[in-house]
Amino acid sequence: MCHQTVSLVARRLEADGIATVIMGCAKDIVEHCGVPRFLFSDFPLGNSAGRPFDAESQAQTLELALRLLESAPGARTTMQSPLRWTADAEWKRDYLDLTKLSPEKIAERRQEFDQGKAVARAKREAT
Amino acid sequence: MTAVAPETRAAVAAEHDVPIPYMQRTRDYYLVLGYDPYRWAHFVEVPFTSLRTPLSGARVALITTAAPLQPGAGDQGPGAPYNASAKFYQVYSAPTESVPDLRISHVAYDRLHTSAADINAYFPLARLREAAAAGRFGALAPRFHGAPTNRSHRATLQTDAPELLRRCREDAVDAVVLVPS
Repeated sequence: MCHQTVSLVARRLEADGIATVIMGCAKDIVEHCGVPRFLFSDFPLGNSAGRPFDAESQAQTLELALRLLESAPGARTTMQSPLRWTADAEWKRDYLDLTKLSPEKIAERRQEFDQGKAVARAKREAT
Repeated sequence: MTAVAPETRAAVAAEHDVPIPYMQRTRDYYLVLGYDPYRWAHFVEVPFTSLRTPLSGARVALITTAAPLQPGAGDQGPGAPYNASAKFYQVYSAPTESVPDLRISHVAYDRLHTSAADINAYFPLARLREAAAAGRFGALAPRFHGAPTNRSHRATLQTDAPELLRRCREDAVDAVVLVPS
């Protein structure tokens, strides 16, 4: 949802004359929504601004985003950061991997999801 | 694994080495759990505004989806399980001069491969300060802003986005860097 949220906000700002750039890790969600400028890091979700405890990687990621702000020729400009999370891509297989879910695990996840939704709803209504 | 194509000497990527198709995986996952597919935001037109001033003179703001630490709202530390109690539902702002304690236990980051132990990996305020000090852009806006993450497009489009726009206008910003968690 984070990537969709910032995509919707970027569109709103841009429509009102403020230039934007998104730094993110979920390429499909951002591009499906459609945004002006997007610096894509092919990293696990949670690392939109660069590698943890690696100031150089973070500075490089920000610099690429700033260059997009300056030089994107038009809407839907995506640049992919050249940085790699790991040498191989095995980590990409794991996110919501259904092959690892037993029926018991599915029931457990469903219960967790319903609980999470109920907590979020109560909090939203109290806000 | 990677192999080398002899004619170019360029490393060839593995078939699965593509950006993760999050929408498809989420759809498949929630179908297995027994829920209807989610309809992701999708538009024909995309607005575009060129930067109206050179970056060296531009005032830049930061928008994040990270949440301020909420005492008493459960585990929000590095690697904490998804914590719906730590969510927030109103736009917030804080001075960029401050050192905020922002967490991401309220969202679905990749808990298997990362732990959210370094705030700078999802909230680039420190790096932005350094870039401003180095003269890479004109100035950092006086406040950064927090955007609530909501399943409802309408809540974001009708309530949160206009409020964020209002605050950015108030701070007379020329450009905004948005960073999802």
